[in-house]
Amino acid sequence: MMFRHLFKLIWNKRKQNFLFLSEILVSFIVIFAVFSFLTYYYQNYSKPLGFAYKKVWSISYDNGLLTKDRDSLSIFYDNLYNSLKAMPQIEEVSYSGSNFPYANSTMTTGLHLNGKRFGYVNNYVIGADYKKVWNITLIAGRWFLPEDAVTKNKNLIINETLKKQMFGEGNAIGKLIGDYEDKEKMKVIGVVQDIKANGDFWPAGNAMFSRLDTGYLRNNHNILVKVRDGADATFESQLYKIMTNTMKNSVEIQHLSEMRDAKNEVTIIPMVIFIIIAGFLIINVALGLFGVLWYNINKRKSEIGLRRAIGASGSSVSYQLVMEAMILATMSLIIGCFFAIQFPLLSVFNIPASVYIVAMLLSILFIYLLVFACSLYPGKQAAGIHPAIALHEE
Amino acid sequence: MLKNYFKIAIAVLKRRKFFTFISLFGISFTLTILMVTTAFMDKVLSPDYPDLKRERSLYVGSMEYKNTKEGWMNRSDVSFYFFKHYVSTLKTVDKMAISSNPKASNAYVNNKKIVIAYKYTNADYWNVLEYRFLEGKPFSQKEIDNADKVAVISEETRKDYFGDVTHVVGQYISADNINYRVIGVVANVSKTVNSLSGDMYLPYTVSTENYNKPDLMGPYNAVLLAKSKADVPKMQKEFQQMMRRVPVPKDFDKVYSNADPFFASMTRRIAGDGANNGTTRVVSIMSIFVLLFLLLPTINLVNINVTRIMERSSEIGVRKAFGASSKTLVYQFIVENMILTFLGGLIGFVLSLLAIYLINGANIISNMRLSMNFTVLFYSFIACIFFGLISGVYPAWRMSKLNVVKALKAQ
Repeated sequence: MMFRHLFKLIWNKRKQNFLFLSEILVSFIVIFAVFSFLTYYYQNYSKPLGFAYKKVWSISYDNGLLTKDRDSLSIFYDNLYNSLKAMPQIEEVSYSGSNFPYANSTMTTGLHLNGKRFGYVNNYVIGADYKKVWNITLIAGRWFLPEDAVTKNKNLIINETLKKQMFGEGNAIGKLIGDYEDKEKMKVIGVVQDIKANGDFWPAGNAMFSRLDTGYLRNNHNILVKVRDGADATFESQLYKIMTNTMKNSVEIQHLSEMRDAKNEVTIIPMVIFIIIAGFLIINVALGLFGVLWYNINKRKSEIGLRRAIGASGSSVSYQLVMEAMILATMSLIIGCFFAIQFPLLSVFNIPASVYIVAMLLSILFIYLLVFACSLYPGKQAAGIHPAIALHEE
Repeated sequence: MLKNYFKIAIAVLKRRKFFTFISLFGISFTLTILMVTTAFMDKVLSPDYPDLKRERSLYVGSMEYKNTKEGWMNRSDVSFYFFKHYVSTLKTVDKMAISSNPKASNAYVNNKKIVIAYKYTNADYWNVLEYRFLEGKPFSQKEIDNADKVAVISEETRKDYFGDVTHVVGQYISADNINYRVIGVVANVSKTVNSLSGDMYLPYTVSTENYNKPDLMGPYNAVLLAKSKADVPKMQKEFQQMMRRVPVPKDFDKVYSNADPFFASMTRRIAGDGANNGTTRVVSIMSIFVLLFLLLPTINLVNINVTRIMERSSEIGVRKAFGASSKTLVYQFIVENMILTFLGGLIGFVLSLLAIYLINGANIISNMRLSMNFTVLFYSFIACIFFGLISGVYPAWRMSKLNVVKALKAQ
């Protein structure tokens, strides 16, 4: 009964309310976009990192001047590994493909299982001590062993996400996976915890790790070292000298903690700019809503005065006005949700549906709070209207 | 007449201070964002130090192989060989500046690590691009032919490596354990001039890589300079014709490389590929974004203006009753709204000056200095007019429809 009456009041002022409705609708869409981003980043952020980066340095080098002969190259790299490992400041050493965590390089491939294709699998080609350098956690199976170099099938370690996608809750160890053309079979020997290689705010994605063999050494440009506490800039410049003398070519040493900051910054800075802009837009809208509601109530003084005169209490008057604003907001939200719900239904951008759902609920809550806050003061003011004065003005 | 409107407008703005504040807040904030964005775009798009001849230049930055049957694609920067062997034969190319991608190298000075990004260039690089030399001079063809280990460094590198000295020509700088003799120091280049910024410039002949390897892909890019602005389309056409003669690499059936004007070279990198320069896509996405961004404050402004005008229904009624036509009234309200918008624009201008000052101070993008110039002001002015009209016309139209009798009776 009460609601029908309110709807009638709203319908009578449809021309004025149209602008009000469209404003809430556009605000909802903006807020939905912001919350979708934030929820997505937060969900990723709350997952464990999966590895330790703090004392890891990467050494990138140009190998253009090294010998092309496979055997001597292999001996050269073995010697380099041993001499690095022998340094007291260095704890662990591992060769790695250029797509190690936080590096601006990705390498993806496809895998096949029972004829089904799994795309965008990060392909990490790694040296023997990779696990020790990063402190990666093994969930099932084992890490690479020296004898893996001579097995019939190439051995493979996959991450948690890929394991879940391929095998669900089942066992993955010992299973054979086809490569991107489904020609060669590779055997899964281990499953590791996800590592968020693209920074704190991005998912780990699918990942597979395979051993760096001697044939691949020719293309290798990166060594990862885990240093001990005493390693300072003096040691770094020594290491740099040794590396340039060995390689006779360009070398760069980077600290993974700095690379991590750079990687996170790429996500955080645009996000902060986006939030600031959205924040000001919302303040703008809030002031606008407040102003319009306030004006409307002033204009309806006579109506309110009449209601008070026939016995309506102050609180019921203010309740009615707040309710009116809330109903208007609901109407906009219904239209807004119709658009917003398309995102999880069509799974736009390949983002989990839960992100959109949470973002939608948060945005609805936010809009209600906003409208409520904006109508509270005008409503209270309306409650304070004296029937005698209001009617006298008339 | 206009003076009268102005007086009325000021009086009205003073009367409803709260609404005036909301309007001004919305307009000035939106314009601030627009102005800062325009300043940034202007920095990226208009000719900037040292790349001041953009009108006469075309940019070659990528090489793409395609296998259309298998769907394979391979994209990279361009080889030195390609520029030397193919592009240098073009008749319309007056000069060609070739440079490699920056490579990072470390230097350790007084226990501090400095990262030096160095580039290899040819001799004409210094003739096409207008680097400002603080001291010394660039290397010439002679140094290139001799493969002299000489370097031109940036002001920033001079400060980081040598400290606060003003004269370093003749001294040596070490990168990758090789000593280069400094022969020139140039003013810093903003990171927004992506392919031209670097900390140290070296002759390409000292590069340890084989720059004559007959490959199409490599680490280089080039700026082609035509004799005059009119020659640019001809140069582009000649480049395309030349691309048809370039042999397609094994395993692929198409090879693409393009000489683009500056803007197209940027959009191609963001949204295009070998066959499509991506300009339409980038421009439409950006327009949609700006439009959406403007939508919210505009609706808000229309909303407030409607309220504002309806509040004055009695005034309108009286004026109409005394014979004012709808047209004059609409005119008056639009003028009033314009005044409000320009006031907001003025505040927005001050705010953007402040924002630009803060952004420059924070040095968010290395060596980028935003500035408020006439282009930026002009676009802001257009944005002001747009805002004033959009938010003024609809309320004014609604007001002109107001019935005189009703308006007066409401009083």
